[in-house]
Amino acid sequence: MRILIVEDEQALRESLVTQLTAAGFTVDAAADGEEGLYAGTEYPIDLAIIDLGLPKLPGMDLIRKLREAGRSFPVLILTARDRWQDKVEGLQSGSDDYLAKPFHMQELLARVQALLRRSGGWSQPVIQCGDVSLDTRSQIVTVGEKVIDLTSFEYRILEFLMLRAGEVISKAELTERLYAQDFERDSNVIEVFIGRLRRKLDPEGSRQPIETLRGRGYRLVLARAESPGMRADGG
Amino acid sequence: MSSLSGRLLASVSLLLILFFGVTIAALDAVFRDLSQRSIGELLDAQLVALLAACEPDDHGNVQPAGALAETRLRQPGSGLYAQIRTRDGKFVWRSPSLLGSKVDFGGPVPAGERRLEQRSLDDNMRVMALTSSINWEIAPAVNREFIFNVATSLAPYEAQLARFRSQMLGWFLGLFVLLLGSLALLLRWALRPLRQIEMEIGEVEAGSRASLSASQPRELTGLAANMNALLKSERQRVERYRNTLGNLAHSLKTPLAVIRSALGGEPAIDRRHEIVNQQIDRMNAIVQHQLKRAAASGGAVMGQSAVEVAPMLVELRAALSKVYPDRDLLIEISAADGLAFAGDRGDLFELLGNLLDNACKWCRSRVRVVAARLPAADARTRLRITVEDDGAGIEIADRERILERGARADEQVQGQGLGLAMVREIVDLYDGTLEIGDSPLGGALVTVCLPGR
Repeated sequence: MRILIVEDEQALRESLVTQLTAAGFTVDAAADGEEGLYAGTEYPIDLAIIDLGLPKLPGMDLIRKLREAGRSFPVLILTARDRWQDKVEGLQSGSDDYLAKPFHMQELLARVQALLRRSGGWSQPVIQCGDVSLDTRSQIVTVGEKVIDLTSFEYRILEFLMLRAGEVISKAELTERLYAQDFERDSNVIEVFIGRLRRKLDPEGSRQPIETLRGRGYRLVLARAESPGMRADGG
Repeated sequence: MSSLSGRLLASVSLLLILFFGVTIAALDAVFRDLSQRSIGELLDAQLVALLAACEPDDHGNVQPAGALAETRLRQPGSGLYAQIRTRDGKFVWRSPSLLGSKVDFGGPVPAGERRLEQRSLDDNMRVMALTSSINWEIAPAVNREFIFNVATSLAPYEAQLARFRSQMLGWFLGLFVLLLGSLALLLRWALRPLRQIEMEIGEVEAGSRASLSASQPRELTGLAANMNALLKSERQRVERYRNTLGNLAHSLKTPLAVIRSALGGEPAIDRRHEIVNQQIDRMNAIVQHQLKRAAASGGAVMGQSAVEVAPMLVELRAALSKVYPDRDLLIEISAADGLAFAGDRGDLFELLGNLLDNACKWCRSRVRVVAARLPAADARTRLRITVEDDGAGIEIADRERILERGARADEQVQGQGLGLAMVREIVDLYDGTLEIGDSPLGGALVTVCLPGR
């Protein structure tokens, strides 16, 4: 999952980048509103964390511009202003959640994960497709009753596929969103991980949970336990 | 006297009464003088007529010869009387009109002189009497002095005077009322700008107007301009103050956020890590609480409009649905259109936000908000807002701690109390009331009463 951080305080921005990367996210960082707008409109972002008091383009305006440009990824506002008036205004500008500084990293991660899950149409922290169930909080995956051991990359691919179960996701998109900073883009590493995931989810090779569509990408074919709903704000 | 027009009317009334009083007295005096003079002339004429009619008789006296031309002298009680006496008081002649009556004409006057004075007839009727002493040549070279008395009743004159007085009083009373009435109308017109400005100040206070209108009479333009400047500077001051506080909070919290994020996540690695984390929490609570409290204005800034309650509740509900997206919350709002809070928008946001957030946090699924206007209540508690939920409610001990005045929010109980402590502080700032009870839904029922419109 690719996250955009727009925060002008360098120390905080760097610390966020480090910790979100450590949590398994691909992270883009911007130091002001204009940079943030460029990254938000040009890169395949899954979620943005935006500070409200930004130089060049205030956070609230940045969110509005992103929404006007048709970007519908969830936005988490990060701000020191925590009066309810600010909170309501922030949420009205098109953001999805609001976190006041100083925050606990655990809280931020929980909010980020919840937003990503919901943007895939899942309202509960445990998402289920067919007999595969994935707990976004504990990152535990079970097939039927059995807990499956996954590496963090395998988990990230599975989470991405499950959150968007039923959609065709290209190899390029997977690479961009999950591996941009760790691997060369044209490696066949995605294919390797998909192969490993298939073996772990379906040792007998009887169900074929991940479909390969030649030239187009991959699709998780297991039935979602929950139908994808509309995003709360419709944006 | 507190009213300007009242003062003016009272002082003008006094002046008018004084002026009219003097005028009435003067006119009365003139009228009486004129009347007396005309009575004097009338008596003179009667005296001359009487003298002309008199002739010496055989006894050396004088008396009217033949029938008198003046018929009134012949009728008893007619009001015109005459008599002739000798110097020593002996009656020579009395007019028939004096028949049965007695006039005390007083003593004689020196020869050749006359006296006009009021006397009484039969001791109860007032008459004007002319006494004149005439030396009459009754025979060649024989002069004899006679006292001629002529009198006329004052009743017609008095009736005329009374009529004159009542007419004059009537006219002056009418004039008085007319003058006062037109003065009152004039004052209404002249003082209209004052009433207008008073009304505008009321509107500014009520928040339906931001400043006084510029089109004022010359005498009031200064006042209006100064007032507007004051309103503006007050609003700017409050805004600057808020901005400063906001910036202060921002500049304090960002470093706290940096420290916290630099420390990395929990659980704490060692004791030091734990202590730093705790202290960050403490500093954050202090910054947050103190700055929020300082930013709460605790009263409407003049010229600030009242804040409508219903739209804010709807906005908060939308925001809360984003704050608690995974919870199946049912937030019922019941608030009349136009129901408004007479205070600061940010304060109401903070109060309602905390109340609703608290209810959402602790409810099972239902939250009910009812805002209503209290009829005929104290202006400071005219707006009643109740927030209730179907959660577990609030412990009695916690209720007391929350309601205790002067307790600081950052030293209060956790959980339910934390949000409500801020609510209580805002309510205190506005001199409102806060009560915590049990809701029929099963959870807590929080009632706040605030200044409303």
